[in-house]
Parts: sequence; C-alpha cells; structure tokens
Amino acid sequence: MQPAGVDAPFDDDDYLFEPWWPGVRAITFAERGALRLQVAGLTDALGAFPELGELTGQLAEDGVVLDGTLLVLDDAGRPDAELLRARLSGGTRPGRPAYVASDLLWAGGQPVTRRSFRIRRRWLETILAPGDRVTVGRGYVRDGTLVAEALSALGIDGLSARQLSARYRPGQAGMAWLRAPIVPADPRPRPTLALILRLPLGD
Amino acid sequence: MARAMWRGAIQFGLVTIPVKLYLATESSSIGFNLLHEKDLSRIQMKIYCPVDDEVIPRSETVRGYEWSKGKYVVMTDEDMENVPLKTVRSIEIAAFLDADAEEAGAQFVKQAYYLEPDEIGRKAFYLLKSVLAETGKTAIAKIVLKDREQLAAIHPYAKTLLLTTLHWPDEIRSLEELSLPEDEIEIKASERKMAEQLIASMDGEFDPAEFRDEYREALMGVIEAKVAGQEPEPMKKAEPTKIGDLMAALEASVAAAREARRAGPGEEDAGAATADAKASGGRKPAKKAPSAGRARARRTEEDGEKPARRRKTA
Repeated sequence: MQPAGVDAPFDDDDYLFEPWWPGVRAITFAERGALRLQVAGLTDALGAFPELGELTGQLAEDGVVLDGTLLVLDDAGRPDAELLRARLSGGTRPGRPAYVASDLLWAGGQPVTRRSFRIRRRWLETILAPGDRVTVGRGYVRDGTLVAEALSALGIDGLSARQLSARYRPGQAGMAWLRAPIVPADPRPRPTLALILRLPLGD
Repeated sequence: MARAMWRGAIQFGLVTIPVKLYLATESSSIGFNLLHEKDLSRIQMKIYCPVDDEVIPRSETVRGYEWSKGKYVVMTDEDMENVPLKTVRSIEIAAFLDADAEEAGAQFVKQAYYLEPDEIGRKAFYLLKSVLAETGKTAIAKIVLKDREQLAAIHPYAKTLLLTTLHWPDEIRSLEELSLPEDEIEIKASERKMAEQLIASMDGEFDPAEFRDEYREALMGVIEAKVAGQEPEPMKKAEPTKIGDLMAALEASVAAAREARRAGPGEEDAGAATADAKASGGRKPAKKAPSAGRARARRTEEDGEKPARRRKTA
C-alpha cells in the first residue's frame, strides 16, 4: 500500500491520524519464531537492527505480517535521522532502534487485508503487546488538524491518515492511506534536522 | 619555545628572509607504554634481521628504495641532502593568491607551523606580513620538510606568519568515488527558510575555548582514579529510551494542542465548528465532506465489531 499525498491535514471521522514518523517503512514477517524485516534497499534489515528480534516475544500469534515504521531513537528518545542513516548504511549500530506498527496484514497464518482497517487495527492491538522497542503507534480518530498542530510542536513534518473503512490495498492506496504535510508552528517555528533532511520513505 | 624543527629562508624574487619553523600544534592524546604484563617492565622493540636471524643495531640500517620487486637502491643521508631541488633549505614562494580564493586545493591542509624570523630578517619578514594582511593575500610556497618537498600556504597569524603544509593535487582523492547527485537537488522555498532559521538560531562566534576533548578528560579521570588506587567508577548507563516515551510525548503534545484550542482566544470551542473550519482549509482529493458533530472519538475503540480472534475465514 502506497500513500497518496494531500495538501493539508483535515478532520474526518473515517480516518485514523498518526504522526508520519521520521523513519523508514518496514514490513515485518513473523513465522514459527523466525522474524524477517523487509526494508527497501536492505538485504538484511534484522542484521542492522538486531535488537528488534525481541518482537517475536511480544506477538500473541504466529504467522503475522505487520506494516510499520522503523526508527532509531537518540539518547533523549527522539527519532534521529542521522542515527537511522548510519544504521541503514551498515557498519555501525548507534542509537536505539524502535518499530512502530501501524497495520496488520496477516494474522494466524491468514491474510486479513480484506478486512477494514478499523478491524485490522483492533486486532493489531490485541496481537502485539507494547514493549520497550516495538509498539502499536498511538493514533487519533477524526482530529487530523488537532494532531497536526501537536506534531508541528514536536517538529514532525508529516501526518498519516488511514481510512478506517478501507481494506488493505496493494499498490496505490487511493483514499485508504493519505499523507499530509505539516507546516511548522507559528510564530516561532522550531525546525528540526529530521524535518529538513527529509528521509526516504522506503518501499 | 621549543627547538626549531627546521631552519632556512623564505625566498621570493631577490628577497631572502631567514626563518625558523616550529610546530604550531601538538597532539594532546594520552600516550601509553607497552609493558610486559608479568612484571610491568617496559618492553623494547628490537630491529630484527630475518636473514641473519639476529637483532641488529639501528646504526646498521640504511634507507632503501624498492625500484623493482626485491631490488633496492640505497639512499644515504648525503644523497638526501644533495637532492637537486631549489627548495632545499628554503621556502620558495611561487605565487600570491587572494586569501579567500580557496580553490586550488588550499583547503586540504596537513600541518601548521609557526615561522620565526632570524634577527637579520625581521624587517623584511614583517614587511611581508603586513603586505599580505593588507592586500588579503596568501602566499603559496614549496618547502622540503622531512625528506619531502611539500606544498605550503603562508598566512599572517597574530604576531607572525603561519605556514600550513598542503596536500599535493595528486594526493587529493577524486569526488568520483562518492555517490553524489548529478542534478541539483530541488529545494522548496519553505525548506530553505526552515534551514536558514535553524542555522540562524545556532549563529555564533567561534571560541575554541568552548570546545574540549571530552574523551581525553574522561580517560584521564579513569587513569587518575587508578593511580589513586580506587576502582574507576563505571560510566553511568543512560536510562534506555523507550518507544513508549515517544508515544507519551505525542499524547502530551496532542493534549496540549487540544487544551490550546479550547482556551484559544477567538477560537471556537473544540468541536464540530472547528473541525469544519479547518477542513475547508485542507483539501482531500474529492471526498465526502468531513462528518462532524459526533462526540470526539478516541482511537479505534468506537467500532462495534467484537475484538474476535476468529480470522481464519479472511
């Protein structure tokens, strides 16, 4: 599922709004205790983010595929673009990796992509227990503009909007998944490097 | 001051200015000695000849250049002194450049040296310095240091001149090895503005005293503690950051934004009116109007379906 761009944040109660975390898109496959992390352009993502292996212990079920964002946090717990870049380019492994899951594609060895996002998200929260590194992201229904205001204060420059009634759509998501830009808060914008050094969006 | 490491003369045109060269910087890294673990005695490095299978004195060594595989020509100290170069014992100024015309590889510096004029050359030395300073020029020169001819730049610095040795052009690696974009990266005006603001907010004067080698200080602390017979305090492990903290920061920020809306002067109370007003600003590609009026929903819990664990049919 690839997001479509929109001009600005909006309010709509058929949408779940989340931060567009400054990280890379990562699909996680968990089957029979084995974990695979799929990140565009990376052959061995789990090798670069070995700490995320603990994810399997947080899953209540086997045969699970998650869609989410891979982040690297700095000492203050903020997502850091440079640390992520260092990890992705291999060699060093600075910072603390984290994975924010947003969507559930498979559960119990079965695809759930035909279900509405409302249900997939609910199941996601029952299947994936929150941990120190991996968690289901915090999302907000309807209040897109409010979340955008909050995010601009946090220095995050994008808003993800997923349609609650939509099924998981391969390829272009159409209305099912939208990305809106967030302008920095006035009157004192607090730009962050993550904002300026726009990260690639993975797959 | 310490011993001069080189003595010679600056030469340009018919002018000769005798000068000495001193290292302008020193390494402050902490040095260690290799010891024999058993009795903590200093170990010695011996020069070993594998052909004779014996340790030989340094005086029996010579400098050899491998001109063909396994074939050497010996270069004596005398040979080295006789290298037929005008720059031996001289700093030969080849050109004067504008100091800010930093092309020509003058950025790739190796080592800085202070120059000290001999008494006889003082007047010419300070004349050169003041003209360089007034015209904003840098002198490019050649000098032989440590058996090697080096390229150097000479700038006025405080009460003297600073000579910095430069890398030769063929020592500067090509940018071809890097993956750099072919085309210019497109930058939006808003992005440029943000970057400018960020840079402006960190604008400052460079005060080297503000910067310290913190690793060296920490290492010295560990050494001093050991000398005093104490076990060094292990570095305090930073409290590991958790992804939950990030979610908490998001929650706090959303709560603050909600509060700000509620309290905002002139703003409608949080609710349908605000939602509509905002929605008319932001456009979604052709989509039903945002449905307003519903009580503020939280998360996904508003759906009516059971949180069943029966998805085998999907």
